[in-house]
Amino acid sequence: MSNTGVRRRSKANRDKAFFDYSMLFIVIFLVCFGLVMLYSVSSYESVLHFGDSAYYFKKQAQSTLFGFVMMFVVMMLDYHIWQKLAIPAYVVSAVLILLVLTPLGYEVNGARRWLNVGISLQPAEVAKVGMIIFFAGHVCKMGKSIQTLKGVVKTLLLGVPISFMVLTITDNLSTAIIIFGIIFMMVFVATPNYKEYFIIGGGVVGIAAIFVMLVKKGVLTSEQSYRFGRIEAWLNPEAYAGTTGFQTLQALYALGSGEIFGKGLGQSMQKLGFVPEAQNDMVFSIICEELGLFGAAVVLMMFLMLIWRFLVVANNAEDMYGALLVVGVMAHISLQVILNVAVVTNLIPNTGITLPFISYGGSAVVFLLIEIGLVFSVARRIRLRNSTE
Amino acid sequence: MGRKKRKNTQRFTGRMQKKLTVLFLLIVVAFGILSVRLYAINRDNGEEYKKQVLSQQEYDSKALPAKRGEIIDCNGTKIAVSQKVYNVCIDAKTLNGKDAQFLDSTLNALYDSAIEFVYTREDLRRYIMSNPTSQYRVIAKKQPYDNVSELMEKLNNKAQYPDIKGVWLENTYQRTYPYGSLACDVIGFVQGDNEGAYGLEEYYNSTLNGTDGREYGYLNDDENLERTIKSPDNGKTLVTSLDVNIQSIVEKHILAFNKEHENEYREGNGSKNTAVIIMKPDSGEILAMASYPVYDLNDPRNTDGLDIVVDEEYSTQGIVNISADDSGDSGENGDEEKPEAEDTESQNGDPAEGESQTQEEGSENNKSFTAPAGSREKQAMDGEEGEAQDESGEAEEKNDGPMTYEEAYEAAKMEALNSLWKNFCINSTYEPGSTYKPFTMAAGLEEGILTGNESFNCQGVKEVGDHQIHCNNRMGHGILDFSGALEQSCNVAFMDIGARIGKSVFMKYNRLYNFGLKTNIDLTGEALTNTLVFDEETMVPTDLAISSFGQGFNVTMIQMITGFCSLINGGYYYQPHIVTKILNDDGATIKTIEPRVLKQTVSEETSAKIVELCNNVVSKGTGKSARPAGYRIGGKTGTAEKYPRKRGNYLVSFMGFAPADDPQIVIYTVVDEPNVPTQASARYATLLTRDILTEVLPYMHVFMTEELSEDEKAQLSEAQLTFAQSSDKSLSENGIVSENEVNTDAAGGESEAPADEQTESVITFEEGEEEKREFEMDPETGYPIDPETGAILDPETGQPLDANISDLE
Repeated sequence: MSNTGVRRRSKANRDKAFFDYSMLFIVIFLVCFGLVMLYSVSSYESVLHFGDSAYYFKKQAQSTLFGFVMMFVVMMLDYHIWQKLAIPAYVVSAVLILLVLTPLGYEVNGARRWLNVGISLQPAEVAKVGMIIFFAGHVCKMGKSIQTLKGVVKTLLLGVPISFMVLTITDNLSTAIIIFGIIFMMVFVATPNYKEYFIIGGGVVGIAAIFVMLVKKGVLTSEQSYRFGRIEAWLNPEAYAGTTGFQTLQALYALGSGEIFGKGLGQSMQKLGFVPEAQNDMVFSIICEELGLFGAAVVLMMFLMLIWRFLVVANNAEDMYGALLVVGVMAHISLQVILNVAVVTNLIPNTGITLPFISYGGSAVVFLLIEIGLVFSVARRIRLRNSTE
Repeated sequence: MGRKKRKNTQRFTGRMQKKLTVLFLLIVVAFGILSVRLYAINRDNGEEYKKQVLSQQEYDSKALPAKRGEIIDCNGTKIAVSQKVYNVCIDAKTLNGKDAQFLDSTLNALYDSAIEFVYTREDLRRYIMSNPTSQYRVIAKKQPYDNVSELMEKLNNKAQYPDIKGVWLENTYQRTYPYGSLACDVIGFVQGDNEGAYGLEEYYNSTLNGTDGREYGYLNDDENLERTIKSPDNGKTLVTSLDVNIQSIVEKHILAFNKEHENEYREGNGSKNTAVIIMKPDSGEILAMASYPVYDLNDPRNTDGLDIVVDEEYSTQGIVNISADDSGDSGENGDEEKPEAEDTESQNGDPAEGESQTQEEGSENNKSFTAPAGSREKQAMDGEEGEAQDESGEAEEKNDGPMTYEEAYEAAKMEALNSLWKNFCINSTYEPGSTYKPFTMAAGLEEGILTGNESFNCQGVKEVGDHQIHCNNRMGHGILDFSGALEQSCNVAFMDIGARIGKSVFMKYNRLYNFGLKTNIDLTGEALTNTLVFDEETMVPTDLAISSFGQGFNVTMIQMITGFCSLINGGYYYQPHIVTKILNDDGATIKTIEPRVLKQTVSEETSAKIVELCNNVVSKGTGKSARPAGYRIGGKTGTAEKYPRKRGNYLVSFMGFAPADDPQIVIYTVVDEPNVPTQASARYATLLTRDILTEVLPYMHVFMTEELSEDEKAQLSEAQLTFAQSSDKSLSENGIVSENEVNTDAAGGESEAPADEQTESVITFEEGEEEKREFEMDPETGYPIDPETGAILDPETGQPLDANISDLE
């Protein structure tokens, strides 16, 4: 992969500070597009429940503004200070998750995942950033020892407690998967081997396949866990059209009815109470319905370009720590996009993963923008090589 | 790619860059897979999903109920109205959703309000929890606005009450009758889905009903869903010729009569039925129509006070149990299950014996009911639930045979209710008796067979065919002139008349008076009497003889009074009707129903003669007791022996009109089997008529023309206190007397204007103390009264009006 977009930095000359305007443009585009879509998708529900069509939009716009401020603050900081804060990042993440169990925690839609600390906060979102900071620092600290199998296993095991807490305390499998996935990808990049990862990856897929087979055979049913119910609904959404398969099926209807250019912005019918949580997990299906395959392709392209910018920044990072930070962010965003779209297209069971920048969620957008700030702060250290060299 | 960083920190090595690139490629591959999947879904299922999306939109949906039209009387008083009320509905699925977090807050909001729920809070909670898929359940029915206004506010303010979910209100209309049982037989009630039952409610059901509106959605050209509302077309209002005040007077006296004779001779009501119709002879409009017993239109199914006779064999015990249970039921508000323990208690002594015995009887006798004696009570208690089949298999085996006790009870209850609901005045047929005599006479006069100068010799009996037919006076009336025959209601004389006019003339007029045909009054359920009258072909002399005095064939009250109106109004047979106008929702008249002359029955000369003869009946003959003090009226009594004969059962009646010389109203009073030892006295009908007219005539501004005796004055002064109060209200609605004309000679002439528009002057009203007294009670007339002399002062001159009796006769 050639990095034509960025001229290599010069070690000796500090000719020019680099600022990744392409990435900024992409982020602004995604955020603004997200707000427009959020307004379109949520206005019906907002009027119905709050009497104000812009209820969700306003809250999200506030969070987004705050997120941009945070992004610039983080961007201006030297990212090396995070390296020293690796251990605290881990501890803070863990403590915040535990706080959900205290009276500070509260429930929304039947899931206890939020903290009320003046503002409402989802600890799992903090944990994602926390893990990126911690593991970037941790991998750097391990040095060569990360390259042994033992080092890899030890590193991965460090991610287990947090993932497990997210899974059990906040009952949030999807975030647990994403957190572990981020760690997994960071370790993958930091170590020379391939085989182990494909074995582990294959193993995970295999275990999942076994579960799916068991559900299919009826050994595991929705009575044991609602997650098995979701697998049932995934395998055959029509059979559960009235219950667990409803959301998936309605999202598929929306997605499939958009044709090439869609029904037009704001013209979705499925958002009128048919797709539950349309402004959250299922926002992509409404994008498909309103803007068609074309709109969906544009959104995916924008995400891909963003990820490509991460690749460029990581590859040109001043040091390994910065690069690993960017890899973590890249892992986070790409995992969420892929899993979200996979859920909407019913490639995997319904897990409740949001689409970055577009789905409704205050904590999510603030911390995503903080992550983008991290990437910018890494990018700022890139020194452009003097073109006359 | 293999570029190295030279720094004291760790470098992001080329190997790592390579791995990152691999990772990126994997991500690209994943994006590729997703894109292919997206495309595939659109390609393979696009059409299907598009249709699916369209099909699940709600295009159809909500009916917006139309308001049922009102029924008002001739003065605009509302007799039947529809009020907007609200049903409270819940969606248990929504309430169960999201871990039922809104359940408690919603229940709080519901039970904090004034709504009367079908369920208790705990029961409702249990229902919601156990029916997670239910999306529609009405939990409170027909609540007035006051009860739901609080909840409505909360529902409309989602921002402030975001945690009330799965509850909504449905509009509907509740039929209410402000006067309760007033004119119940005429009005009828509404049941089920806005369906009128009986009376005007049924006859004019489609007029009253209106058309429900609809709120529906459709797809426009751009396949965008649009919703539109077609507002409901509210029902039309019926303006009736009924006068609530007259109706009240009539019903008051009917009730008083029945209270007076209640349980007098046998257990039960004061009569089998008592019915009165008051009609305007010059238009066929009904002013009042009432029968007894009455029921509350707001609660037509209330069986309190009804005699439900299930079977003689169950006699007292069964009935007592039922009525006791029945009253309990109505207070219980629909609790569905009764504790099992109760029926063991109620088992009485001889279950085995009773069981086998009744079973045998049951198989032999269709009329008896086979429930064992011991289970009677239990089954009666289960009452309407229809589930009391647990008396082992026997009950089922007997199903094709006789009914179970409870079925019999149900049937008996329905029968009792049906007879309660039906309108005796149009629904029941009976032999009219002597009130038919004017009809016979008119036929003879009209055909010229009678001249009015005939005389008759009554020896108390006449032999027709092989039968000895007695006169009402077995001793005989002796020699009677033409008028005397009617005055004394002599059967022998009328048998002579019948024989003279012959059966073909008799039957021609019988049919001309519309007997055997419907009058087509605008009420549901008029009886058809075509098989209940004689046929000329098969009529034998005995039939002619008895039918000449009104026995042997059946009529309805409405036929009698309508026919009689034509006899006294110059021969014009008006179609009787109740509704005079139909108004739309805004109160604009959309249809006026004019009086309709169907035919001429007799000539004006004959009519005048009949009026004169009927006046004689009241002034000299059998109808004397019907005359209200101060008035001259005409009429004819009737005492019809009911079939089967010789049981002592009579239907007594009086057909009258007032005032005598210018009939403005015709009144027909029927008392079916008065609850007295000797029923064969028309006095029960005449006295009732007198009582009614005593109040109705002053109310209608018909002024007294006769001198009052001391007794009458005393009676009136006593009665006036009561009726003056009640007429206060009515007069204010009736408008103010505006014209003064001296009504000195009102005899004979047919008036062009409807009777109620004729305004009598006070100047005719000058007979003495009583008129002034009444006058005093009547501030609407507007004439000052000298408090010392009681004389009426002329408003223009200030001089007392001449209080001398003017010689009108």
